[in-house]
Amino acid sequence: MNNSLIVVLIASGVTYGTPILFGALGELLAERSGVLNLGVEGMMLVGAAMGFWAEQRIHIGSGALSLILGLAVAAFSGTVMAAIHAFLVVSLRASQIVSGLALTIFAGGLGLSSYLGTDLNIAGVPATHTFHAFFPNTMQNWPIVGPIVFGQNPLVYFSWLCVIAVAYYLARTRPGLNVRAVGEAPGAADAMGISVAKYRYIHTLVGGAFAGIAGATFALAITPTWNSGDSLVQGAGWIAIALVIFSFWRAELCLVGAYLFGAAQALQPELQARNISLGPTDLWANSLPYAATVIVLAAVSWRGASRRLGAPAALGVAYVREDA
Amino acid sequence: MTATAPAIELRGIRKVFPGVVANDDVDFEAAPGEVHALLGENGAGKSTLSHIMSGLYRPDAGEILLNGAPVLFHSPADAIDAGVCMVHQHFRLVDRFTVAENLILGDRRGAGRSFRIDPGAVVDQVRRLGERYRLPVDPRARIWQLSVGERQRVEILKALYEEAKVLILDEPTAVLTPDEADTLFETLREMVQEGRTVIFISHKLHEVTAVSDRVTVLRGGRAVATVATAEASPRSIASLMVGRELEGVQRRRGAATEGETVLSVEGLGAESHRARTTLAGVDLAVRAGEIVAVAGVAGNGQRELAEAIAGLRPRQGTVRIEGRIVRGGDPRAAYRAGLGYVPEDRLGTGVAPNLPLTMNIELKSYRHGTAGPFLRLRRMWERATEAIRAYEIKAAGPHVEADTLSGGNIQKVVLAREFGGNLKALIAASPTRGLDVSAVETVHRHLIDAADRGVGVLLISEDLDEILALADRILVMYEGSLAPVRRRDDIDEIAVLMAGGSPE
Amino acid sequence: MRFTVERRLDLPRWRLVAVPIVSIALGLVLAGLVLLVTGHNPLSSYRQLFDAAFVSTGSLDQTLISATPLAFTGLAAAAAFRMRVFNIGAEGQLYIGSITGAFFGLYFGGRGAASPWVIALMVLGGMAGGAAWASIAGALRAFFGTSEILTSLMLNYIAGYLLTYLVFDSESYWRQTKGFNATVFPTGKQLPHNAVWPAWTLHTQGGIGVPLGAFLAVAAAIFLWVLYRRTRFGFEVQVLGDSEGAARYAGVRTRRKVLSVMAISGAIAGLGGVSQVGDFGHSVDGDPNGLQRLGYGYSGIVVAALGRYNPFAVLLVAFLLGGLENAGNSLQGANFPSGLVGVIEGIILFTTLGGELLIRHRVRLLRTPKTAAEAMP
Repeated sequence: MNNSLIVVLIASGVTYGTPILFGALGELLAERSGVLNLGVEGMMLVGAAMGFWAEQRIHIGSGALSLILGLAVAAFSGTVMAAIHAFLVVSLRASQIVSGLALTIFAGGLGLSSYLGTDLNIAGVPATHTFHAFFPNTMQNWPIVGPIVFGQNPLVYFSWLCVIAVAYYLARTRPGLNVRAVGEAPGAADAMGISVAKYRYIHTLVGGAFAGIAGATFALAITPTWNSGDSLVQGAGWIAIALVIFSFWRAELCLVGAYLFGAAQALQPELQARNISLGPTDLWANSLPYAATVIVLAAVSWRGASRRLGAPAALGVAYVREDA
Repeated sequence: MTATAPAIELRGIRKVFPGVVANDDVDFEAAPGEVHALLGENGAGKSTLSHIMSGLYRPDAGEILLNGAPVLFHSPADAIDAGVCMVHQHFRLVDRFTVAENLILGDRRGAGRSFRIDPGAVVDQVRRLGERYRLPVDPRARIWQLSVGERQRVEILKALYEEAKVLILDEPTAVLTPDEADTLFETLREMVQEGRTVIFISHKLHEVTAVSDRVTVLRGGRAVATVATAEASPRSIASLMVGRELEGVQRRRGAATEGETVLSVEGLGAESHRARTTLAGVDLAVRAGEIVAVAGVAGNGQRELAEAIAGLRPRQGTVRIEGRIVRGGDPRAAYRAGLGYVPEDRLGTGVAPNLPLTMNIELKSYRHGTAGPFLRLRRMWERATEAIRAYEIKAAGPHVEADTLSGGNIQKVVLAREFGGNLKALIAASPTRGLDVSAVETVHRHLIDAADRGVGVLLISEDLDEILALADRILVMYEGSLAPVRRRDDIDEIAVLMAGGSPE
Repeated sequence: MRFTVERRLDLPRWRLVAVPIVSIALGLVLAGLVLLVTGHNPLSSYRQLFDAAFVSTGSLDQTLISATPLAFTGLAAAAAFRMRVFNIGAEGQLYIGSITGAFFGLYFGGRGAASPWVIALMVLGGMAGGAAWASIAGALRAFFGTSEILTSLMLNYIAGYLLTYLVFDSESYWRQTKGFNATVFPTGKQLPHNAVWPAWTLHTQGGIGVPLGAFLAVAAAIFLWVLYRRTRFGFEVQVLGDSEGAARYAGVRTRRKVLSVMAISGAIAGLGGVSQVGDFGHSVDGDPNGLQRLGYGYSGIVVAALGRYNPFAVLLVAFLLGGLENAGNSLQGANFPSGLVGVIEGIILFTTLGGELLIRHRVRLLRTPKTAAEAMP
């Protein structure tokens, strides 16, 4: 039963969906503050390279510690990348779209992540330690819930904590209320003494940290290795951005969406492994997550639904106080 | 008043924006327990001064004292902490939040600074405050569900919730009916009786005399005088404000009642952008040479009316120009038929802000007189040069970008363009909002000239003074329908209609 | 330290020129810092890059090979970004253009039609393919308001899989199925001679081949410039790009504009795709590690932004960045890690973006006067 296509798809959907989920949570926080960051893909790739490097090359005793270090380094490098974007769009009011694209080009598969990976000589080596399932085998073999719930790597459980934390933060805490106000009506927030720039910086940076962790999830749990180019992430950063729109800027819904897209990504390898073919199988199965993204985006935006359903009103707009 | 230090005092305030000296060496003070009016024409520097008091702008020079002690406001937070709160003309509320959430947003006081928030906990407190100051509003309602008047109450509640000692209100009555304004004045009186200070900013003389203890008059960025309201005559205040004897533009009326109907609207219906207020069954007619004014509190469908007629908003019903039906939802058709439109939102709609004047002046006529698909750039340049000359637009040349001009000059660009074609009828929506006195006069003069040339003008405005000065006939808009005012100069009747009542 | 940013009311011409130059110089300095930090000597690196790009024998030849597709994708991005339609899909539109264009070359070339006609049909076919692919995102944006950024980007991946599928995973019309090589490694079918695009040789530096595509790119730039600056269509595009409110007010049909601009942008990218086939590869390149690794579509965005969406500036920038990419490829090795070119491009783009602000604004340090007396002059 646990080998049936559907169970395997759900289980790997959760695995593959986790980096998308991390990326989407980060983007969600940035967008709630009014900053659109199209650099997720690039931040993920740099996070993957740096996280993998730290895990490989810095020896600090136990495997668990070095994995955590890898994660921390990935988060930090994502933050540094996001800082560039934040400076350009918050302080210098550059176009958020162009700056985000620049970030992806700068950091992405043809840029910094490749540069670092090649220069640090980490390409093609398997990871020394990886995040892997840790529940006892008997639990992992339980029907259905075994592979789906207990067969996952620790980052999956960490991502669940993050979803709860982000949802609680936005709904029930003072900084959460403030950041929503900054994204909805920066003028109102400013008049109430909330620093728009500070909130936008912080949430863009935290968004970068999440993207870095997402990248490390690929390099240290899913693949787990590092390759030059963007083959590691394969557009997951962009899907994460789209996911924020589908989930109407809510953390809980990000979880569901991420797993659906994860399952779509898992379909092609799974079909191949089982020798199932239906017409040009590789073509459509590989394209599925991207085609699905286009279709869902179109459905959601139809009749401007996204505007009514939660897009922060000031998303993408630089805030200028002294506008005379 | 000499014994105690003023609640708030400004000394030598100066604030310069690129190209404009907004405030120049302004001294001002307001005592505890008084309503102090800050009076001045549009552009006199009232808003800038209030933004400085509320910490939003920082003065280039000068100082602020609270109860005799100098303070430095780096941000609105500092001002709120010091007890200075402001109710802005454009409300600073988060539309998607509830009233309660808006109140605890950025709460500066000890109790409200906990990490966890619970908007439910303040609901009762909001209700009590509302009852005490006659500011009823449902704490759980979301802002976008509230009327403009209710939103203003939320703003005032917010200040009371922050325990403001000095409350600054920027043109608070612009969005209120006369009755609502009276209630507001009572609330303000109640607040000053508790020892608070209210600074009331306005350009309307009669309001100032009704509510304030003292008046400080601003003119051209300077404070020209402070007088006790009871001891000054409205006339003397008015001349202080304008700095010369008020001529004002007055229109010779009634000359045009014989003209042909140029613009007629029958059974007009339209939806607002939130699909809330709808226009339904609106009829109106404007004759050649006539100025018909639509009065009313903002947000009652004026914008929808203008945009529906101009073809910018889908509509039901028929619009005719000189008897011929104009296709709906098509601004080009309206332009070809001879309808001009001066939109309310000058910089966002009236001009393309980052494009040169050559293009902005031809924004509607660019399709005509082209050589096949190609533009005639030289002719565009000549026309722009001519418009700059004829309308006395202060610009370095036809190449400059529209948003480098002042508001008044941008409006002249819009007028030059709208008057350029074969104009039969003109819709002018709040054409003088935010302009300085001389620009207001220019715009009024152009509207009257147009009417004298036989254009039918539909003037949509919230400014009763403007309407009374210009209009031949007045209609009042309330919740999407129009009611005619029978006696043109009867302000009471207008007030009743504005509040949704019916005369007698 | 606090600062404030104010809008300038004047716009002297010198600042339009000086700010980008200073931005690029600053970008090179920052990229040099990255080199320094990772243990390379920036001065000698730059020197070698410059030599490999423009000076050494045969370098200009190679530079043009990289510059030609960048000119097309740069123009494609400029055509759309100008109107604030963010077509990120030049990459995929280029693939599709190479597929449709190659089809015309293979089909009509194979029937022995005269070369100019075959080439003309290839050009049209490539443009049509790119335009059609771009129109998917264009139509979704125009009719549903769907973000064209995300959809056009997703379509890049799909186009990439399609390209690979046609040459690697199927017996399609584009795949070479006969001959020894075809059994060893999947390749695209070679164009017949009459479908191969001509090149003109300039007799300097040992002979530089200027491909037909380079001339077509110049023609596309002239076309765009005239279209946007001199026609009614361009007037409407400029207004819509500046203010949607003003465009609606002026009666511009906004949907049609979005659709046409996306189609024009896609057609230019598609032309770049067919130029890859006709000028350089002479067959469809389905290798996931071939054309798809070069990322011409994404670099085109950098080209367009650095050229401030001006078609002629885009050509110049494409030539310079083409040199950079060429040098990056030929020098790749221990001293020149892959990705260096992307790093330099990205940093220069960042500094240029930051510099934009300085063209139109003045940054002023704030000093709050403590007392009135101190503030008075």
